[in-house]
Amino acid sequence: MTARDRILSAIRAALPQERPAPDAIAAEAKALLADPDTSRPRLVAEGLVDAFILKAEAIGTTIDRVGGMEAVPDAVRRYLSGYGLSLSLAVEPTPALTALDWTGLDTGTTLAPDQPAALGKALWGIAESGSMIVHSGADTPILLSFLPLHHIVVLQESDILSHLEDYAAQLAERPHPRNAILITGPSGTTDIEGSYVRGAHGPGFLHVILVASTD
Amino acid sequence: MSAPEASVQVSFKNRAKTALADRTLKIAIDRTTGTAEAKRAVAVAAFPEFQDARARGRAIKDHVIAHLDHYLEQFERNATASGAKVHWASDDAEARAIITRICLDAKAKLVTRSKSMLGEEIGLPHALADAGIERVETDLAEHIIQLAGEAPSHIVWPAMHRTREQVAELFKIAHHPPPAADDPATMVQSARRELRAKFLGADIGISGSNFLVADTGATCTVTNEGNAELTTTPPRIHIVTAGIEKIVPTTAHALSLLRLLVRSATGGELTQYTTFHCGPKRPGDADGPEEMHIVLVDNGRTRMLANEFREMLRCIRCGACMNHCVVYRQIGGHAYGGTYPGPMGSVLTPVLNGLAGSRDLPNACTMNGRCAEVCPVEIPIPTLLRAWRIRSWRERLEPGSLRAGIGIWAVLARRPGLYRLASRIGVRAIRLFGKGGWIARLPLAGGWTAHRDLPRPTGRTFMDQYRAQQADKGDRP
Ligand code: SF4
Repeated sequence: MTARDRILSAIRAALPQERPAPDAIAAEAKALLADPDTSRPRLVAEGLVDAFILKAEAIGTTIDRVGGMEAVPDAVRRYLSGYGLSLSLAVEPTPALTALDWTGLDTGTTLAPDQPAALGKALWGIAESGSMIVHSGADTPILLSFLPLHHIVVLQESDILSHLEDYAAQLAERPHPRNAILITGPSGTTDIEGSYVRGAHGPGFLHVILVASTD
Repeated sequence: MSAPEASVQVSFKNRAKTALADRTLKIAIDRTTGTAEAKRAVAVAAFPEFQDARARGRAIKDHVIAHLDHYLEQFERNATASGAKVHWASDDAEARAIITRICLDAKAKLVTRSKSMLGEEIGLPHALADAGIERVETDLAEHIIQLAGEAPSHIVWPAMHRTREQVAELFKIAHHPPPAADDPATMVQSARRELRAKFLGADIGISGSNFLVADTGATCTVTNEGNAELTTTPPRIHIVTAGIEKIVPTTAHALSLLRLLVRSATGGELTQYTTFHCGPKRPGDADGPEEMHIVLVDNGRTRMLANEFREMLRCIRCGACMNHCVVYRQIGGHAYGGTYPGPMGSVLTPVLNGLAGSRDLPNACTMNGRCAEVCPVEIPIPTLLRAWRIRSWRERLEPGSLRAGIGIWAVLARRPGLYRLASRIGVRAIRLFGKGGWIARLPLAGGWTAHRDLPRPTGRTFMDQYRAQQADKGDRP
C-alpha cells in the first residue's frame, strides 16, 4: 500500500460510509460563502478609492495621485528625488509601463544589487485592506516586488475592488498564474521583542502612484 | 520525532521550574505576548463582524474535514495539472525521506527555508543536516534560533524567548560585519544584508503552506517579511510541506480564513505578503522555480480524524491560545518540550509523541478557558485537554500514589454519608495546620503551599452549613 492509499483509506474509515456526491459538496462549499457582508469588515469610507487610500496609508504605504498614465514618470522622479535617490530604477517590462516616456530616468528591466528602486504595475487594489495584487508572468518578474528597498507600484483607480472575495472572483475567471500575490504594506517584522521594524527582507518602502480613471 | 519519547514527561516539571526562575525569559515573554494580546483586542474591536466570521471559519474547516478525502484528491489533480509533483507521507520519517531524496537527487548544497511549523514537526532541520545539506532559515526569528541552536518557542514568534540584547550577542558573532547597534531596526538591517546572498545562491527553497486550495491546486504562504517569495522564487526547486488538514475548497475560502488568522495572530488585518503558489515556472515566465514538489503529510492527522481530537484539525496555527494562556506566559514555549507549545501544543504533543511521555501537558492547564474564547475557529481546547486526562486515567498512566488517592476519593464520593463524615474530620484536621486565616504548610500539599498559602477552613463543611441554613429556613413561618 502506498502512503497515499494509507492516508485516503484512513480518512474514509473515519468518515461516514454514505457520502454526498461531488456536486452536493461543491454546493455546500458555496453556501459557506453566502452573505459575505455578515462576516467581513465594512469599508472605512464610502468610495472604493477613499477607502483604499485610508487603509493603505494606515499600514505605511505612501500614495501619490496623478491624472493619467503619462504623468507616471514625473511622479517616479518626484518620489526618487524626495528620498535623495539617483534617478535610476528597474521597470517591469509590462507594455503599460514601457510605453511611457522615460527620458531623463535611467531605466532597465533588471535590478542591480545596489539599485534601490523598482517600478511595477498592480492588476487590482483592494479597498477593504489597502492591498495590491501582482500576478507572475512573462512581463512580471516576481523578484522586482521583493528585492528593492523602494517598491513603487502603479495602480489605476478603476482597478480598485471592494473586498477580498471580489479578487477571488477575478482570479477564478482566468488561468491561475504561478504566483498570485497580495501585497499589503511594506515588508516588516515583529520578531525581535514584538517591536515593529520595516524592511525585513522585502521593500522597506511601498509607494503607490494612483492613476485617476480617464472616463 | 527525533526526541526520545519519555523526555517530555520526565522533565516537564523541571523545565517549568527552570523557566519560572529565569527572569530574562519572563521579560522576553511579557514583551511579545503583551503586545500580541493588546493588538489582537484592538483588531477584534475594529471588526464587529468578528464573531460571525469565526462561526463561518469554523464551518469552513468542519466542512473540509468532513470531506477531506474528496478535497485532497481534487487538490492533487489540480496541483498535478499545474505541473507540481504531489507526494504523500504517512509520518514524519516518510516526509523527511521524500524531502532529503529530492535534495540529494538535485545535488543541492544550499537550501533556504521559509518558516513552517510542519517542517519542525517532521524534524526537517536535523534531516537536512544529516544529509550534509546547508540549511539557511530566512524568517528573522528562525534565523535567530538557528544561530542559537534552539527550537522555536512559539508558533508565530519562534524567537520570542530572546530579548533584544540576547539577539544582539548572536548577531555580533555571526554577521559580517556585525550590526552597529542593538536596537531592533539596526539588527533587522544586518540580517537583511547577511541573508540576501543566501536567497540568491540557494539550490532549493522549502516553504510550508497555510492553505492548500483544492480547486486550483495552489499552496498559500503568508509572511510579513517577504522571505517566503525570496525563498521560493530564485532556486531551481521549490518544495512545499503541508499537513493534510490545510486544505480549503477555493481561494475565497482561504481569504475568508486569512482574515481570522492574521487578526488572531498579530492583530494585523492582512499579512504584508499573501502568496498563492501554483506549479513551477510557466513557459515564458520571467522568473520562478523549474520544479515544484508538494509533500502532503499525515503524521497523526488521520488518527485525530477518527478519535475525540477531530476538532483540533480546525487549528489554523495562529498562536492566540498561547498568547492568552496564563501558563504559557509564565513558562514560555520550551518548557512544553514538543514542537507545538501552549494550549494547542498540549493537545497535539500527545498525538505526535504519545501520551505516556507527555501526560503532564494536559494536566498543566488551569481550565480557565481563555484559549477557547480567543480561538478563531472555536476549538474547545479545555474539553480536548480533559479528554487526554480521561485517556491517561483509562490507560493507567498516573503514578500509583495519585491513582490510590483518587481511588479512595471515588469510594467516598459514591457514599454520601461516609463522604460527609470524612470531610468533617478532614476539615478539622486541616485547621490544625493553620495560623489565623491561612495555612503555610500542609502534608501532601507541598505543590500548592510552596508557592502560596491555603485558606484555612472555617471549621464546618459546606454540607453542614447548608443543612443548618435549610433547617433555619424551615423554622420560619
Ligand atoms: S488552537 Fe485556535 S487559537 Fe490556538 S493556534 Fe490553533 S487556531 Fe489558533
